[in-house]
Amino acid sequence: MKGLLTLPARVLWHAFFWTYERATWQYDLMVIAILAFVWCTPPDWLGDPTAHGPGLIGWILGLLR
Amino acid sequence: MTFTGAIGALCMFPLRLIIAAFVGLGVHPNILTFVGVLINIVAGYYLATGRFMTAGFVMIVANIFDFIDGKVAVELNAVSKFGGFWDSVIDRFSDLALFIGLIYLYAERGRTDYVMITAVALTFALMTSYTRARAESLIPKCKVGFMERPERIVLFMIGAFTNRMAAVLWVIGVLSVFTVADRVIQTWRELKRMAAEGKAAV
Repeated sequence: MKGLLTLPARVLWHAFFWTYERATWQYDLMVIAILAFVWCTPPDWLGDPTAHGPGLIGWILGLLR
Repeated sequence: MTFTGAIGALCMFPLRLIIAAFVGLGVHPNILTFVGVLINIVAGYYLATGRFMTAGFVMIVANIFDFIDGKVAVELNAVSKFGGFWDSVIDRFSDLALFIGLIYLYAERGRTDYVMITAVALTFALMTSYTRARAESLIPKCKVGFMERPERIVLFMIGAFTNRMAAVLWVIGVLSVFTVADRVIQTWRELKRMAAEGKAAV
């Protein structure tokens, strides 16, 4: 039970204090998270000087509204 | 096999041919390293002028040179301490060329916020390699932290090809700060451990 409670903290710590090699499942997960951020975050939210538009998240939110 | 491992294996096919061609021509690896930085300066120019797609293609060519120099050195039996030093120094200039290109672009567009974000990302990208080099003069190994040069380069290319450079700069900046912090923590821990072992031995 204690292990389950500390799991999120441990995941966060391992994501911050990165010791994994390339081509491991942890590395794949990090790459997926980064690509999701880069491609899904609306450029307007970041004030991107060269790109505009809602991006994937903005498009989905638009559909839900 | 992981998906990043599969992508790496796929990329190795054409690279092996290119390596074989340069080995056949007997080109010195230090020349390949230098050609790599010259092409990266061209990529920096295209970033500065906002032509991201062209910059992306130029970066691919530049980083082929960056990647193969070490392999060609091994194949030609030309591995040297100076070659390793030369490669590290030239890599920093390659990094600088790309970041300076972006700083120029954002400055020209009057975006001081992104000039600062790029400058911070640049600083921590350079500190990433400095902290490791300095740490490894004190401890045997300091290879912790996610954001190393290959990750930066691939992210730059993704940013250029998909016009998502702002998001890429945020990722490089934040994860480079983490990487530098990781290396400081790792060095502190290792030095403490070595000191404790030294005391125990006495």
